[in-house]
Amino acid sequence: MNPSRDDAIESLLRSQFDGPVRDEGFSEQLMQRLPHRRRRVAWPVWGGMLVGAAACWLALLPSPLVDAGWHDWAGGHWTASAVAVLAAMLGMALLALAWGVAEADDR
Amino acid sequence: MADSAAEARVDRTLVARTLLGDDRNAFEQLLRRHQGMVRAQLRRLVHGDVAAADDLAQETFILAWRKLDQFRGDARFSTWLYRIAYSCFLQAHRKKSPQVDNASEGETERVPAPEHAMDLQLDFERAMRRLSEPEQTVLLHCVQMGLSHEEAAYVLAMPLGTVKTHATRGKAKLKTWLAAWHGAADEEQTA
Repeated sequence: MNPSRDDAIESLLRSQFDGPVRDEGFSEQLMQRLPHRRRRVAWPVWGGMLVGAAACWLALLPSPLVDAGWHDWAGGHWTASAVAVLAAMLGMALLALAWGVAEADDR
Repeated sequence: MADSAAEARVDRTLVARTLLGDDRNAFEQLLRRHQGMVRAQLRRLVHGDVAAADDLAQETFILAWRKLDQFRGDARFSTWLYRIAYSCFLQAHRKKSPQVDNASEGETERVPAPEHAMDLQLDFERAMRRLSEPEQTVLLHCVQMGLSHEEAAYVLAMPLGTVKTHATRGKAKLKTWLAAWHGAADEEQTA
């Protein structure tokens, strides 16, 4: 590559570029069309999480497995039901984490 | 360099003012500072269709207004805007029928190069159209708009190596096709 020829091509390219376009009312017109910004509110997310957790708890309450698992876990006994409850909680925490990471990436 | 750092600081301040106080005047200043280059970028991308470029520019700034809280400041504000503008252009371009694009490409290929070119601008435009779309786009951003290879890679969402390859190939092709003009320029310089 000959650098001076490269420079010549680059200066030719630059000379053929018209540069910034003059405003001529573009900004004013656009400002009139600008929508109102919607503020992000946090309460629907927290409310949804609380309602979801409560609904989940109520749905699982009649099951003897949850009750037994909870008691075994609280008593320090690593029974199958205690491990199942722990695995379910871990799974939900991982799902929440993945959702949080995906949301953070989108932002 | 210092100027561009100062410009970037002004942009960041205006972004912060827009976000914190929902300050439309601050956003208007950002708009006035950058509309010229964004519109120039889009005019080049749509091959001079002023109305289409301005529609896309409006879409770009409305998107920027909506997504301003997503500007993290790791790129320059202008570069962030060029990226939005380029993705708006790509979306509009993809909506168009691919048959139309093929037809226009074919037309460009069929046009014979003039044997005795009289007008450098015409020759240049013709040579630019003969480049592939990615080569044209990379040369527009890297050379004509003055972005670094890294910034162009960010704007075009391309790997850095690909940007460098397109830039080198594009320039090499232009050099070959416009060789006669170089010869004339060299002769003028030596005379």
